[in-house]
Amino acid sequence: MKLKKFATAGAVMAVSALTLAACGSKSSSNDSKQVLNWDETAELPSMDLSKATDVVSFDQLNNTMEGLYRLGKDSKVEPGLAKKTHVSDDGLTYTFDLRKSNWSNGDKLTAKDFVYSWQRTVDPKTGSQYAYLFDGVKNANDIMDGKKKTSELGIKADGDYKLTVTLDKKIPYFKLLMGFPVFFPQNEKVVKDAGSKYGTASKYMVYNGPFKLTKWTGSNLSWTATKNNKYWDKKNVKLDAINFKVNKSNSTSYNLYKTDKLDGTPLSSEQAKQLKNDKEFLTRSAASTFYFQYNQTQKRFQNKKIRQALSMAINRKQLTNKVLGDGSTVSKGLVSKGLAKNDGKDFADQAYVKEGVEYNKAEAKKLWQEGLKEVGETKMDINLLSDDTDKAKDSTEFVQSQIESTLGDSVNVHVQNVPFKTRLTRSEQGDFDLVISAWGADFADPISFLDLFTSDNSQNDGEWKNADYDKLIQASKTTDAGNTDKRWDDLVQAEKILVQEQGIAPLYQQSTAWMVKSKVKGIIYNSSGASYNFKNTYIKE
Amino acid sequence: MKKYLLKRVLYMALTLFLVATITFFLMKLMPGTPYSNQEKMTPQQIKIMNQQYGLDKPIWLQYVIYIFGMLHGDLGTSFQFSNQPVSYLISSRIGASAQLGVQAMIFGVVLGIIVGSVAAIYRNTWVDTTATVLSIIGKSVPNFVLAVLLQYYISLKLGWFPIADWGGFSYTVLPTIALGVGPLAETARFIRTGMVDVLNSDYIELARAKGLNKFGIIYHHALRNSLIPLVTLIGPYTVALMTGSMVIENIFSIPGIGEQYVKSIQTNDYPTIMGVTMLFCFGLVLIILFTDIIYGIIDPRIRLTGNED
Amino acid sequence: MAEEKYNLQPDSFEPLAQDQDQELDSEKIAAPSLTFSQDAWRRLKKNKGALISLFIVLIMAIVSFGSTPFINHSELVKSNPEYANLPAKIPGVNINGLNGKMKVSGVWTDVYKENGIKDNVHFMLGTDYLGHSLAQRIIYGTKISLTVAIVATLFDLLIGVTYGIVSGWKGGRTDNVMQRIIEIISSIPNLIIVVLMLIIFKPGMTSIILALAISEWTTMARMIRAETLSLKTEEYVLAARTLGESTTKIAWKHLVPNVSSIIIIQTMYTIPTAIFFEAFLSFIGIGISAPQTSLGVLLNDGQKNFQFLPYQMWYPAIVLVILMIAFNLLGDGLRDAFDPRTRR
Repeated sequence: MKLKKFATAGAVMAVSALTLAACGSKSSSNDSKQVLNWDETAELPSMDLSKATDVVSFDQLNNTMEGLYRLGKDSKVEPGLAKKTHVSDDGLTYTFDLRKSNWSNGDKLTAKDFVYSWQRTVDPKTGSQYAYLFDGVKNANDIMDGKKKTSELGIKADGDYKLTVTLDKKIPYFKLLMGFPVFFPQNEKVVKDAGSKYGTASKYMVYNGPFKLTKWTGSNLSWTATKNNKYWDKKNVKLDAINFKVNKSNSTSYNLYKTDKLDGTPLSSEQAKQLKNDKEFLTRSAASTFYFQYNQTQKRFQNKKIRQALSMAINRKQLTNKVLGDGSTVSKGLVSKGLAKNDGKDFADQAYVKEGVEYNKAEAKKLWQEGLKEVGETKMDINLLSDDTDKAKDSTEFVQSQIESTLGDSVNVHVQNVPFKTRLTRSEQGDFDLVISAWGADFADPISFLDLFTSDNSQNDGEWKNADYDKLIQASKTTDAGNTDKRWDDLVQAEKILVQEQGIAPLYQQSTAWMVKSKVKGIIYNSSGASYNFKNTYIKE
Repeated sequence: MKKYLLKRVLYMALTLFLVATITFFLMKLMPGTPYSNQEKMTPQQIKIMNQQYGLDKPIWLQYVIYIFGMLHGDLGTSFQFSNQPVSYLISSRIGASAQLGVQAMIFGVVLGIIVGSVAAIYRNTWVDTTATVLSIIGKSVPNFVLAVLLQYYISLKLGWFPIADWGGFSYTVLPTIALGVGPLAETARFIRTGMVDVLNSDYIELARAKGLNKFGIIYHHALRNSLIPLVTLIGPYTVALMTGSMVIENIFSIPGIGEQYVKSIQTNDYPTIMGVTMLFCFGLVLIILFTDIIYGIIDPRIRLTGNED
Repeated sequence: MAEEKYNLQPDSFEPLAQDQDQELDSEKIAAPSLTFSQDAWRRLKKNKGALISLFIVLIMAIVSFGSTPFINHSELVKSNPEYANLPAKIPGVNINGLNGKMKVSGVWTDVYKENGIKDNVHFMLGTDYLGHSLAQRIIYGTKISLTVAIVATLFDLLIGVTYGIVSGWKGGRTDNVMQRIIEIISSIPNLIIVVLMLIIFKPGMTSIILALAISEWTTMARMIRAETLSLKTEEYVLAARTLGESTTKIAWKHLVPNVSSIIIIQTMYTIPTAIFFEAFLSFIGIGISAPQTSLGVLLNDGQKNFQFLPYQMWYPAIVLVILMIAFNLLGDGLRDAFDPRTRR
């Protein structure tokens, strides 16, 4: 979902949205102050962690709040508020000992704040669009469906500093989830006092993370995060402040970067191509994959050869290197590379199906002609639906050109670039022939991707159906949930089927190119979940 | 006069009401929902959320509620910024846009009058040709191109003004120029034509024959008379500034209403789209009324009566 | 002559012959008889700026529309990413910026050589991000921009003129209602109309043309109405009315010819406005969609890369500005030609 949010922001390049920028011009006179100037590509729409849906909000929450764990480098679970964790033998009960800590207004932070926060999020009245992540926590789904009361959620506070969580089923990635802002605590008193204003401006907020927001009025284009002196681990927080500035034009933010007003800026494709040899240039890859969905309610796309031909017609290498040029790489499959490893082997490598993602002009032509005969058509008009961001436009134009020039006159591609939410609605309603969709993992586990294409999943817009695939996914959640290796194999097999059958055609794994001043050190960037963690960031001239 | 005003205000209200109605129903035709993660929400959640947004009610009732709310200054809640009332979003952003708009208007009109008068006084000389060519170029360069050029050459290369952002007066200079050049060019051409007309007229000849001072003539007769019709251009200028603001605010990272409007279109934020549409319409209608009144006051030939023609 | 004066012959007192009589007729107009349009054309010819503009517009139109057989759909969708973002290289020209060299971090670098491109590859105006020839794109973009502008303006004319004449002619209550409607339409920002069009119809040229037509005709209608109001009281119209001529016929025979100069002048101003608005739409991101392109799309793409690839903005900008200037000067010229009172 991440990707969608990026697109929502209307941000030019959108994908890994937050950039780092360090204190530039001002620092020379005052070296003792550690200040960071950082570019955002979109406004901060909400600081209510139950209601946040976009990447800017999640990144801000990740830096101003803290949950049981904090995700460090490479999504490594690092201690947060949980001092000690005990997992029951069946893996269904987690007991956490919380450390003593305070909210930024001085209130004691207790286990009750977790209970309140979780209950608030799963309460259907709150309207949390991320509550689905609670799937697996006892009774969460029933509460969201309105069948049970919120107090029946599997979370309990024993005294002030002991928290017990019970699960309906084993969640192998449970600890990773705890690092995602939706699972952070909330201060009941502050939430209730602010009422509907909670999370709409910095003055209605209270924090328990490394920083606290100031000067955020809810819709303005700049705000500041200052060091939170009530934070339990404040000695490891080195920055005094981070100034956030929203710039929607990449050329503007790059101009600001060049004049040291910003110390980091995301780059557009063309900027990236021009700057790729610069020593401050870097790319941040996101755990997000762009792929084709074929509308398989249409007879022509039920034909596997047609699907294969369209996929093979695209030179993905040229797409990533020459058109996007931002460090994006050719997808090996649906699950992004670097997301999850088992026995030191990357999931993407293990599930790699070459024919599913390769460029093969001759084969594409052959399959296309055969496919046309099989479906009894001589010429196809295909509408290609996609977002209206710059990158989406560039890619669709290229894809259109590739399909038409590889498959010849028997195909006509019509490009439709629409705003993100329009694309979503049209995908859901099946109002497309071919759509370029994107998915970003919420947490570092392959299931975050593979769940999408089970027959009844609402995000399987192309309505591809495969019984074997469904069975494998089901097994990974039930019978094999406790067995790491078996579960892994199930998921690998499932993805192989998906790509082999061309249920979807993976295109590329997204990266975003950045310029970041070399004096900025210690930024933690993760490709999934809330991407940026500035807790340990510092500036070294 | 009173009767005329009353009539105009009534028409204004009618206009706004019709615009609100049309926009409301057209918005309902647009695809998409306020939710960015709808597939992951349970039916129960969606039901409750729809209730909260009032989307569960029949469209006619939603319409009645909207119109009623609007009369009380309630434009609904933004879909994109959770829990933010649209009226708050607008009020927190209107300041920057208004300041920019007024500055651009003053800049464009004042400079336009100067350039236009100079061109008229020295008509058919190189001064006139230069002014004409420049004002046509000014009209012909899209303001986003101009903004990019100004930002690159004036700010980045010369460092005279800040590149982007919103703060003191210096931040407003380049956006004002980029926005104001259109009105400037238009005004200059308008004034030149008007003044040339007047300068060739008999009463100017008479004034000259009487031996009046050249600048006195220009000021008292030529300029004054050619300024009057300029008032009618303020309406179109306002439209141009509103459209321009969407572009300029984006490039210069200004927290204004135009930028907000573009964003709300891209994110299907219907309440905000409608709110800003209504604001633009209201502004425009008000300015048209205002200019008509002023026109009547400064040009006695136009009678403000209830009768049209 | 002087002698003759005093040497009067008797025949001097004879009445003049018929033909001589005509020659000296004081009523006779010496200049050849000219129709209104001939007269206008004569005046236009004297206006050098307008004449040059007319040629520029014609040449641009001929080149861009004449390119149709060469720049077709299959040519447009062809992409050559290996030729992406090359600067201009014109054979035989050795001026930096036009010889395949471009300033890369302040140093003139031969980009063609760096990318290992063969010597015989030339792009007159460089290439865009997919390796399309920019010259080709600009010609095609000009065609699309002109098409959008001209078709939208024609719609504009059709609606505006009819509306204006009806409103002005009928007068009274009808006029009042029609003027209110204009007021309402002109207080809806064009953008909102366009956005809705793009959703109701398929995004692209048709919706942009329709949207422009729907939102831009009001100025025309207002001007035509004002003119109709004054024409209505003219004697010849009154005469036609008294003689029982039908309203449509009066409109067609008397009103339309008399407002034709307004129509032509207004058209010359509407076309650049439409081109301009189309460019604005591209900036907002709802303009013409690929593989088609327009001057606005090219400008917007160029604008984003101005720091690195300035030529991608400059070339389309120059073409656009020339086109706009030409239309404006032509409009001025025509106005002066049709209405000699404003001629100086």
